[in-house]
Amino acid sequence: MHIVVLVKAVPIVGNERLLDGQRVDRGSGLEANGNDEYVLETALKLTETHGGDVTLLTMGPAGAAEALRKGLAMGAARAVHVIDDAFGGSCARATAEVLAAALRTLTFDLVFAGADTSDGQGGTLAASIATRLDLPYLSYAGHVEPTADGAGVRIHRLSAVGHDVLEAPMPALVMGTQVLGEPRYPSLRGIMGARSKEIVTRSLADLGIDPSRVGADAATTRVLGVSPPPPRAGATVLRTDPDAAVAATIDFLAARGLV
Amino acid sequence: MTIRLSDEQRDLRDAVRVLADERIAPRAAAIDATGEFPWDVVELLAHHDILALPFPVEHGGLGGDLLSTCLAVEQVSRACATSGLIVAVQSLGSLPLLLAGTPEQQARWFPDLAAGRALAAFALTESEAGSDARAVRTTAHSDGDGWRIDGAKRFISQGNVARVVTVFAVTDPEPEAVRQHRHLTCFVVEQGAPGFSTARIEHKMGIRGSPTAELLFEGVSVPDANRVGEVGEGFAIAMRTLDRSRPGIAAQAVGIAQGALEASARYAANRRQFGRPIGEHQMITAMLADMASRTEAARQLLYAACVEVEAGSPAASRWSAMCKLVAGDTAMAVTTDAVQVFGGYGYITEYPVERMMRDAKITQLYEGTQQIQRLVIGRDVLEHGG
Amino acid sequence: MAGPTILALAEFAGGEPTRLSLELATLATELAAAADGHAVVACIGTFTAAGVAEVADYAPEVLAIEAETSGTVPAAAVIAAQLLAILDRTTADLVLVPASADGKDVAGIVAARRDLPVLVNAAGVSWSDDGLVVEMNAFGGRLITRSGFTSGGGIVIVRPGATTAHASGAIGRVETVTPAAPVEDRVRVIERLATAGAAVSIDDAQVVVAGGRGVAGADGFGVIEDLADAFGGAVAGTRAVVDAGWLSYAQQVGQTGKIIKPALYIAAGVSGAIQHKVGMQTSGTIVAINRDPDAPIVDFADLVIVGDLFEVVPRLAAAVRARRG
Repeated sequence: MHIVVLVKAVPIVGNERLLDGQRVDRGSGLEANGNDEYVLETALKLTETHGGDVTLLTMGPAGAAEALRKGLAMGAARAVHVIDDAFGGSCARATAEVLAAALRTLTFDLVFAGADTSDGQGGTLAASIATRLDLPYLSYAGHVEPTADGAGVRIHRLSAVGHDVLEAPMPALVMGTQVLGEPRYPSLRGIMGARSKEIVTRSLADLGIDPSRVGADAATTRVLGVSPPPPRAGATVLRTDPDAAVAATIDFLAARGLV
Repeated sequence: MTIRLSDEQRDLRDAVRVLADERIAPRAAAIDATGEFPWDVVELLAHHDILALPFPVEHGGLGGDLLSTCLAVEQVSRACATSGLIVAVQSLGSLPLLLAGTPEQQARWFPDLAAGRALAAFALTESEAGSDARAVRTTAHSDGDGWRIDGAKRFISQGNVARVVTVFAVTDPEPEAVRQHRHLTCFVVEQGAPGFSTARIEHKMGIRGSPTAELLFEGVSVPDANRVGEVGEGFAIAMRTLDRSRPGIAAQAVGIAQGALEASARYAANRRQFGRPIGEHQMITAMLADMASRTEAARQLLYAACVEVEAGSPAASRWSAMCKLVAGDTAMAVTTDAVQVFGGYGYITEYPVERMMRDAKITQLYEGTQQIQRLVIGRDVLEHGG
Repeated sequence: MAGPTILALAEFAGGEPTRLSLELATLATELAAAADGHAVVACIGTFTAAGVAEVADYAPEVLAIEAETSGTVPAAAVIAAQLLAILDRTTADLVLVPASADGKDVAGIVAARRDLPVLVNAAGVSWSDDGLVVEMNAFGGRLITRSGFTSGGGIVIVRPGATTAHASGAIGRVETVTPAAPVEDRVRVIERLATAGAAVSIDDAQVVVAGGRGVAGADGFGVIEDLADAFGGAVAGTRAVVDAGWLSYAQQVGQTGKIIKPALYIAAGVSGAIQHKVGMQTSGTIVAINRDPDAPIVDFADLVIVGDLFEVVPRLAAAVRARRG
């Protein structure tokens, strides 16, 4: 099975830096989006069991290569880094279009994407890419396996009450969640072997993309302003015995109309 | 010259750190208390390819350079000095083969060593030959197609658990040979060879989980195929080995110091006296600052020495001795201060710093005492005018 | 027609509109009223007459399109196909979609099909002189961003709590629309499985009681569930308790779980590490019960009770029940 895993490099959780107070720094201090590592782990397990290999695909500035290195160290065979100054400031629509174009240059049985990104930008990208490529789309996977005949993919889609079992022929695009299982630590062998693995870069021109469709000027959405959340007043701390604490808590909640 | 770790080296360091924190640190106190050799840690290090670092890729190793091995030793030692030593000794015991072994010898032993299926040990020191390697008395006599080894080695780390032991024995006792340092030859003796036994294991102040053995050689027969390097080349091989192994001990020392520093910083941030965390009282703040600065200085010297030795610098012996000298003294000073930061709590075994202080002392003693390091450095200073 | 047409998508569960869908109906109505436009709610799925009637209490115009969402075609594909047909005949300037799993899939499909812009994770939607303003909590609430469309409209995915659902006071007009031809999809739903004792959803619960490692075991969660029950709220937990198997993933709050914003979040035995914090720090009121007065959660809670949660939580549940009568 040849599986392409979409990886997004996002600011390290808790360490997001603001450039000039307005935009978040997406050029450095990045790590692979948490959910992307779960789907990568699943992809690696599947290819280890059924043969084949895993290709990483990311779109982002030079700092995005951090996320690729770790994926290669975990065991992906190669990576494709879509990078071009023209992409800077692209909106979600442009991102989907660019990644779809990149996927058209690759051969695969499955494309994996993680659910929602920790930077709050995700949620629709996987569905949009699948639609643009006319691929069967299976989302919110907690489990993935090939079908018995090997020609299709079967997932457990998380639901409010349990899960649904979905099947589709390959090639297909699967969006997955944390329930897929803990990603492996890159082994030392993997870390030191990563240096000999290929990272191919692709530019706007390589993908034949119309420049007027991407970048800040083409963005269909824009940020009007950024602010820190209203500060919380410091906590009231209760150190009394449980009964007194509970009584004080009830008063506190009642004053806020919560009980 | 500045040292900036490559992305790969940083990833390697971080991966070992996570493993050490999560899987080795919880074992450190018990390893010290029971004094048992931690085979489970050996298996863990083997499984994660940490023992494979210094070996060639063609034999299942990772082809790592000296700095990479030292990064691993440092991170493991942060959590547990005994465990860090396992990594260092695997390299130390194998170095004669790495430096002077034939392709056949490497193919014979490296696969098991890289995979951690076999441990290595380095046997040079004797009861009467510590700092003075000319005083080695273990002999190797030519015996038909092979050699017969007689004698005893002392203070051999992991000597009783290693399958592959590189042993240095006298093949030419003539005073002229001794004077020219051509009196020793290196051999591989494998565990289980008839006549090869362990006489005792020492009870030590620190690194208590690492077995320190007295090894007996009573008419041990080895084929000539087990001879490493030329006859009479043993001393040179041993010296070249120490140039590469002393940084490993420096790494252990830097790791011990770092572990003690972190424990002290956490303690000082939480322990409150006189209304605030003790870390905010100036005398403690000053101690923490000195501990951190000295540890970083030792670390940077270690990394620089690794790069120089790896590059084949003619001053390799000086770099190697310097980094071990500074790191050993730093570990002792930092761990002593760590106990001080903890106050009375630092003295009791429930807290880790007394163990770290006991562990640190050995880094001033083995692989050449600090005095030997100073001799090496001093001679070089005089020779080069600085 | 002067103002914009705002189309909201309503989802159904058990034949009735979800709470979030009613919030969207209210939001569409409010936005339309403020801009002199008109609001339409598209009910797509399997619903009862009462279910559609309820939506009509919240919005002036309702389109009812029956479609099989529990069949062999995934619900999102079914809904997307019907929504596309609606958009072909009704030019909508703004499409509001619920931030449910299916809703997000629908938005992604429709955005790609019609090349529409999307703004995700809306915690608030309003008008300004610059046009539509969508407020989002980015990075788990460390930043609040206000965004808009550069020209024209698009799709906005709306989270629970962006507005409070309230009846409009009038009964809206319901138009039954003949569904477009059922869509075929290469993806087939083979079966739907319910695991025993699935918990109350934390997605839009007003009160959430969460347990962390301090609860020390699946049994310990009994007191947490009891407190949630006393409030009529939902039970949640940290990643650690989900990994330990004491709670299901659907109840996980945090970086790789859910980001929620209940009016009241009670965290018992939760240290408040960053990965969990980003999942709940924008909650209205945060109460922490912890033995450790130096736990990180103290830095962003409103009320901290230092004590043994097994002593405090049962007493609190009893007091809440007494209060609520």
